[in-house]
Amino acid sequence: MELKICHLYPDALNLYGDGGNITCLRQRLAWRGIDVSVEECCVGDTPQSDFDLYFIGAGQSFEQGILLEDLMNKKAPHLRSACRDGKTFLAICGGMELMGMSCKGADGAETDFAGVVDIHTENGSKRLIGDYVFSCEELDGLPVVAFENHPGRLYLGSDVRPLGKVLCGHGNNGEDGLEGVRYANFFGSYGHGCLLPKNPALADHILKTALTAKYGSCDLAPLDDSFENSAREFMLKRLLAK
Amino acid sequence: MIVNHFDLWYTPRMKKLRVMMAILACRLSRKLIRLLGKGGTDFPGRLAMKICPDLLGILAKNVTTVIVTGTNGKTTTARMIEQSIADSGISYFANKSGANLLTGILAEYAMHSTLGGKCRCKMAVIESDEAAFRHVSRYVDAKAVVVTNVFRDQLDRFGEVSQTIGSICDGVRNSPNAVVCLNADDSLCASIAEEIPNEIVWYGVNVPIYRERVEELSDARYCLHCGGEYVYDYVTYGHLGGYRCSACGLSRSEPQVAVSEVKVSDAEHSEIVITADGASYPATVNLPGGYNIYNAVSTVACGKALNLSTDVVVRSLSSFACGFGRMEKFEMGNTSVRMILIKNPAGCNQVLNFLANLSEPSVFAICLNDLTGDGKDVSWIWDVDFEKLLLLGGKIDRLIVGGMRADDMALRLKYAGFASENISVCRDFGELLETCAGQEKPVYIMPNYTAMLHMRELLSKRWGFRDYWE
Repeated sequence: MELKICHLYPDALNLYGDGGNITCLRQRLAWRGIDVSVEECCVGDTPQSDFDLYFIGAGQSFEQGILLEDLMNKKAPHLRSACRDGKTFLAICGGMELMGMSCKGADGAETDFAGVVDIHTENGSKRLIGDYVFSCEELDGLPVVAFENHPGRLYLGSDVRPLGKVLCGHGNNGEDGLEGVRYANFFGSYGHGCLLPKNPALADHILKTALTAKYGSCDLAPLDDSFENSAREFMLKRLLAK
Repeated sequence: MIVNHFDLWYTPRMKKLRVMMAILACRLSRKLIRLLGKGGTDFPGRLAMKICPDLLGILAKNVTTVIVTGTNGKTTTARMIEQSIADSGISYFANKSGANLLTGILAEYAMHSTLGGKCRCKMAVIESDEAAFRHVSRYVDAKAVVVTNVFRDQLDRFGEVSQTIGSICDGVRNSPNAVVCLNADDSLCASIAEEIPNEIVWYGVNVPIYRERVEELSDARYCLHCGGEYVYDYVTYGHLGGYRCSACGLSRSEPQVAVSEVKVSDAEHSEIVITADGASYPATVNLPGGYNIYNAVSTVACGKALNLSTDVVVRSLSSFACGFGRMEKFEMGNTSVRMILIKNPAGCNQVLNFLANLSEPSVFAICLNDLTGDGKDVSWIWDVDFEKLLLLGGKIDRLIVGGMRADDMALRLKYAGFASENISVCRDFGELLETCAGQEKPVYIMPNYTAMLHMRELLSKRWGFRDYWE
């Protein structure tokens, strides 16, 4: 088995340690003897058609502004059809927002985004910052722990689901108690920390989704997650005890 | 008629009394806190400001002040500048305890003035937090401002780097009489020049520093003006080096004070040649690490801004005492322990650059806290190239992790490729230091900020090393 990962904009969207998710996915595959390749797709590059999993992280407003034209012209059509074809996506924070339909700026102006999933962002004045926890329904309500830091308020469209329900912290907008987005094989979250290493069940769920889409079925051998679990449980204990 | 005592308290006649009371309160409370064995740095200044809100302006009036700000290297640069001023025979004081916010800086001025509010020293060397600089500069009319560099740091507190640059620009705008020393190799730092009318002394490094560099994410890949990609003739570290925008042609300013040659850069020191005003000065920097070469050349630039003798300033680089926890060396048991502060990806990557070039087998300890002083978000450890440590192979004798977020650090090292059984978790700092002291091989402890303060305090209390605020 082999998984081909496309890392979108590692050159411009590389804030808050989100690249650690790639490290995590890569290692969890390698430890199980599954081949993995990661290709970087930067500003100016046109993505190839045979990726299994797309990853996009967060960046600063300055860099997000720089890549917008490139995203709309060189990548958006490819990403929309990849998502329709059931390819797996993991999009974090600003990267998730960019995969949505549009964003309303502080001045009220609407900017079109890639249109891969039906979500919409509005820029708030106050950043939503802090450790947070959400429960993930498709993981049987398992709590996921991460760190959020975003001025954007994200709202879900009609044909998408949330990734989870906020147990503590803000989530998508601090109002509706929802966190992230799920649609077909698309996973979106505001979670940094970074997200996957401390939440190995979610990491494996995403890997399973991508491998199943490619090979029809997949069984992942269990790994020794004692470091992962103690890091996770330490934060859960601290946050949910409040 | 009821007389409001507070109105009376604020009449001009009472001003002298208020100044005196404020200084007294500040000094007594700080002495008391330190007698209790704490480095408490916020309360005394806060108290003084309650009594006399514009105290800092009064105290700083007749002192020639140098302000050092920027993301990394503030403390070490301030220690170097301090030595150059001492060697020039000028009386000075400095905020050595790392209290670099408004209240801590105020307290330092109060400790060095008479009760009448006159400073007992000619000069002050003040390290200022990037965000606090704009407030400090409302009261202090600096003669020189040194900006070390601008990197991503504590994103949960500072936000994006553009905000840090904005804060520093505000600070300089409040300092119309300052000569500003800017890092020519750092496009982010250099962008400050366009926002300010002040005289500028550019400093930089004209040659690469490391043979072997860690993989780093650039904090400034695109031109701030046109969004074009920067190209580099050479990179020293991070986004620093000889840059040029491929689209609009914006490029590095020629530094007036430059490192023209790096002869030696080993585990103990660096030997470099500094060029200033057409003359060359061989210099020894008595702290290892390429980033300290930058701190050294910025010190020479500061000397130029203050009209000090360049000969004297260059010589001082070989004799200054490092700031606490900044490559600070402790002889413990049968080994020597170096404590190296890490707090953001850029700084930590530079430490790894240094470690990756070590030739001797060593013990490494990394300690991660997540208190306010550290930044609550520990995500940044995933932006650091810890994979580079794998290159040391058998030269890693032991790998220890500590601090509140020891588990996150252990996880990072596991995913970097270290076997779980080779990573030991030791949450208690006392126990961790005992373990370090019991080693035969050299030890390198890399703590983030509050972890460093905590361990530094234990080193004074249990092992009898000098207090960190001394």
